[in-house]
Amino acid sequence: MPATPQQLSPVEEQEKLLDEALGVVKVQAFQLKRCLDKNKLMDALKHASAMLAELRTSLLSPKSYYELYMAITDELRHMELYLLDEFQKGRKVADLYELVQYAGNIVPRLYLLITVGLVYIKSNSGLKRDILNDLVEMCRGVQHPLRGLFLRNYLLQCTRNVLPDIAETENDDGDGNVRDSINFVLMNFAEMNKLWVRMQHQGHSREKQNREKEREELRILVGTNLVRLSQLESVTMEKYQKTVLPGILEQVVSCRDAIAQEYLMECIIQVFPDEFHLQTLNPFLKSCAELEAGVNVKNIVISLMERLAAFSQRSEGVGDSGRNDQGSPTCLPPDVQLFEVFSDQVASIIANRQDLPAEDMVSLEVALVNLAHKCYPDRVDYVDKVMQNSIEVFKRLGLEKFELNTLVAKELQKLLKIPIDNYNNLLTVLKLQHYAPLMQHLDYYGRKLLSIYILNNALDSETLITTQEQVEQALNLVKTLVSDQSDQPKGEVDLEELAEEQGLLARFIHQFKSTSADQQYLVLSAARKILGVGGPLRIKHTLPPLIFQAYQLAYKYKDLKKEDDMWEKKCQKIFQFTHSTISALVKAELAELPLRLFLQGALAINQIGFDNHETVAYEFLSQAFSLYEDEISDSKAQLAAITLIVGTLEQISCFGEENAEPLRTQCALAASKLLKKPDQCRGVATCSHLFWSGKSLASNREETHDGKRVVECLKKGLRIAKQCMDVSVQVQLYVELLNHYIYFYEKGNDQISVQILNQVIGKIKEELPNLDSSDETDQITKHFNNTLEHLRSRIENPDSDVISYEGLEI
Amino acid sequence: MSFFGFGQSAEIDIYLDGQDARKKVEVKTEDGKKELMLLYYDGETVSGKVNVSLKKAGSKLEHQGIKIEFIGQIELFYDRGNHHEFTSLVKELARPGEMIAHTSYPFEFSCVEKPFEVYTGANVKLRYFLRVTIVRRLADIVKEVDIAVHTLSSYPEMNNSIKMEVGIEDCLHIEFEYNKSKYHLKDVIVGKIYFLLVRIKIKHMEIAIIKRETTGTGPNMFTENETIAKYEIMDGAPVRGESIPIRVFLAGYELTPTMRDINKKFSVRYFLNLVLMDTEDRRYFKQQEITLWRKGDKVRKSNIQGQQQVQTSEDINSADRFPQLHPGGTDENRSQSSKDDTEEQGSKQVFTEIKSPSGDSLHVGDPFSDHNPDHITENQIQHMQREAGDGQNDSNNEKRE
Repeated sequence: MPATPQQLSPVEEQEKLLDEALGVVKVQAFQLKRCLDKNKLMDALKHASAMLAELRTSLLSPKSYYELYMAITDELRHMELYLLDEFQKGRKVADLYELVQYAGNIVPRLYLLITVGLVYIKSNSGLKRDILNDLVEMCRGVQHPLRGLFLRNYLLQCTRNVLPDIAETENDDGDGNVRDSINFVLMNFAEMNKLWVRMQHQGHSREKQNREKEREELRILVGTNLVRLSQLESVTMEKYQKTVLPGILEQVVSCRDAIAQEYLMECIIQVFPDEFHLQTLNPFLKSCAELEAGVNVKNIVISLMERLAAFSQRSEGVGDSGRNDQGSPTCLPPDVQLFEVFSDQVASIIANRQDLPAEDMVSLEVALVNLAHKCYPDRVDYVDKVMQNSIEVFKRLGLEKFELNTLVAKELQKLLKIPIDNYNNLLTVLKLQHYAPLMQHLDYYGRKLLSIYILNNALDSETLITTQEQVEQALNLVKTLVSDQSDQPKGEVDLEELAEEQGLLARFIHQFKSTSADQQYLVLSAARKILGVGGPLRIKHTLPPLIFQAYQLAYKYKDLKKEDDMWEKKCQKIFQFTHSTISALVKAELAELPLRLFLQGALAINQIGFDNHETVAYEFLSQAFSLYEDEISDSKAQLAAITLIVGTLEQISCFGEENAEPLRTQCALAASKLLKKPDQCRGVATCSHLFWSGKSLASNREETHDGKRVVECLKKGLRIAKQCMDVSVQVQLYVELLNHYIYFYEKGNDQISVQILNQVIGKIKEELPNLDSSDETDQITKHFNNTLEHLRSRIENPDSDVISYEGLEI
Repeated sequence: MSFFGFGQSAEIDIYLDGQDARKKVEVKTEDGKKELMLLYYDGETVSGKVNVSLKKAGSKLEHQGIKIEFIGQIELFYDRGNHHEFTSLVKELARPGEMIAHTSYPFEFSCVEKPFEVYTGANVKLRYFLRVTIVRRLADIVKEVDIAVHTLSSYPEMNNSIKMEVGIEDCLHIEFEYNKSKYHLKDVIVGKIYFLLVRIKIKHMEIAIIKRETTGTGPNMFTENETIAKYEIMDGAPVRGESIPIRVFLAGYELTPTMRDINKKFSVRYFLNLVLMDTEDRRYFKQQEITLWRKGDKVRKSNIQGQQQVQTSEDINSADRFPQLHPGGTDENRSQSSKDDTEEQGSKQVFTEIKSPSGDSLHVGDPFSDHNPDHITENQIQHMQREAGDGQNDSNNEKRE
């Protein structure tokens, strides 16, 4: 041992103290057993008392004290067995119960008294009631929380198997009945709880945290009382209702300690059977409302709801005989209005507890919704009622909006997501009349997030929206995505994010599918009305799907033409609808998109071929043209647009010559007016196809095969190509033109001869070697070679008599 | 007590009638040892035989007469020379003459009055003995035999509970109750302490049984306090509203009946001292006298007798809080207040400040204060001392450190 006192850490200190105490226990226990072996009871009691005196310490932490307690009670069991044995042999030690009470110190005395009392009870059950009463009363002498808790725990442990558990009427003598047991345990519980609560108020306030930790460690001791009560089989529902629960609740409420109340309420929920809870909801929940400010009532109520919900589902699986008309599961007793009770009590808890944070209120509502969903899956009105209650609560509290990331907002999100997740059907959610108003309590971002969630869910579960009203409601729900909101933050909009959101919305629009075509039209126009106000950034995404939906609807009418006399008119109306919709896009200063939509429309019109369709198609195309002319300025875009227009025009066959001709000419003109030469060249080349494969009423919807015009176009192309300054571009264009020539030659255009081909090939060959070697040049060369390769294979394998490549110089 | 004479020629042996069957009890002797003695009660006849045997067969013993005395005496240790005999009876067994052979003399003290109980205390001894004296010219041959005497009392007519509210203002406020004021020696003290106000950090509480022996009078008066028992009844600090049960079995302790003014020589009185100790080792205490009496031996009652619940004072509304197991209580508890100052002390005492001259208050003990064995009147504030159970009163009310 070092001369200077070693500074021990608290942990080491505890270990040392515990070791010392356990050492004493060991020695005394050894002596105790020796004395018992020699039948020296008085000496044995003395050693037992000395051993128990170790439990008088105030120095040990609860943990260490527990270890010591375990060691000592282990040893006491030897004595108990010995005494029991002696008693059974008939060798009673007179007045043993009195004898042990001479112990001067109360802690050892009471441990001995309990041990002996137990032996008395076991050997003469007639004494049971009196001894139990006496023991639980005498234990009051220990008021030190830690020592008292363990002492009473010992009492509870010892009496575990001897508590009378028979119904009241059967026995009223000394053996006692279940009422005695209840009184006994309730009394012990009350005292233990008082001691436990008292720990909180002893010692310095800076050790509060530490103390609370210690209390946590000890709580199981208090809870054991409730477990014991729950294990009494003679506790009937009635007993529980009239005696047990009120007893517990009174103690819990009156102790006014948050930690205890929270733990004990939780305990009650966990240890007693669900059937009991069902019958005692009101008193239990009423008590919840009376708990201390610091108590997390929310958790308690939620825990109970979850338990009962699970119970109802569990027993539903067993007794699978369906439900009654109210849609409540059969397992729930008909007289228990589970939801109503909870709903009322939750409302009163919220109303009475001023300190309850808003998020906890919402949590309660969340739990309530879950309960309603689990126990009464069919009762949408219950869920709606919860939503309504929530709104009223917010109103009463004067709460308007909750910012994203606040706890309330999170809980509210949770609440609002439950119906979505549970029903997986947006239509059911729409039946909740208070859903949308409740949603309004979220701030902009919250609503947007939720909207996205709703849409994703609708998309995942492929919910089809079939009526006008549903469309209105659904779009109203996701308003934040549909249009600008008053509380929307000003400033830059993240376009990528917006595109993503609107993409979702666009996908959702595709699910507007009504069963009947007429209905579908109403749906679409309703959607159009709502979506139309979304602003240029949104309609870009949202209107196109609507337009395509409309085109599809038109096709549908076409299919229905035998059943619906009005189909043509309706089609016309649809195209008017699309026309105006596209015009809206045009107004939003979009160009390419409406252009494409017009073209797409023209194609549709062409195929559907209703009355007056030529005019409409012409209108669409001319709109496309004017867009091209007025709005598209970028040369690349222009080329792309003209290519599209040409492509479309090439497909359309519904025009008479008086319409087709100007359009084609217009195309060629437009193409030749492109700014850049290469673009001009390519545009003109593309236009050439109009004159070959383009169709019109004049050609009886056959291809026009106007070879002369084709060649004119291509020649013009060559001319333009020649004007290009950049030789490599020039060659590239030549190669491309050559391909056009070959195409038409093979198609049988008699205006094209091998000589022309030779000229072009020759021109290319002449220029090609002059090009600087580069990737581009390689590409051009390759393209040219491939073309020649094609020609060669044609020469070698002439598959047609019509076209001959005779005289071609490669 | 034999006579140590040289050449003593005879031996006296006193045989008491039925001494094999008679109950013997342990009586403490002055040196602290215990001796078994035959037990007699008041009014019982003490009879037997005195056998005188000669040491040497054939010799003869000349004597001036043989007598036997029955003596009850009080011996005060400070005055050893003077024995106060309160009973002295003499019987002549033989006239003067010669004794030739072993002789046996029957004797009988019929219905002897034995008003007091044998007692050996710190400063006084009360004993009964038979003394046989063979009177001789030179040295008498004497033989003494002590007997034990127990005085039995009948059940006290009045036996109110002791109930009192005491405290130190704004500090500690308790009500205690002992179920009786008179206990027999095998009795059980049942009671409870009800805490009305606790503003001190109590560590534990105990009940001490204090025996106060007062001997002599005037300047020669000696008071000796002895703690017979210390019995912890509470561990830890209670809070307001707690009630702590008391149950003390008296049978296990060496107690005598309360003796008041025995033959104007001494008194032995008993007190219950309720002591509360706080975490700073200050003691707070209140003494209450109880009367002990001896009850004739009967079959002992069941050992759970003690759980009879004390009736709660009606002054404090604790009745519903602590349900009574036997709501009727004992009849004694209900009986009207007695004028005997050791009995009912009044159900409620007005609390006073420590220095207040009236009322009962609990006293803060001081480990270092002097013991002032002054007398106090009933109205004076009673102080308790800190140190182990001397139970003396202290007129100094101040708390000293």
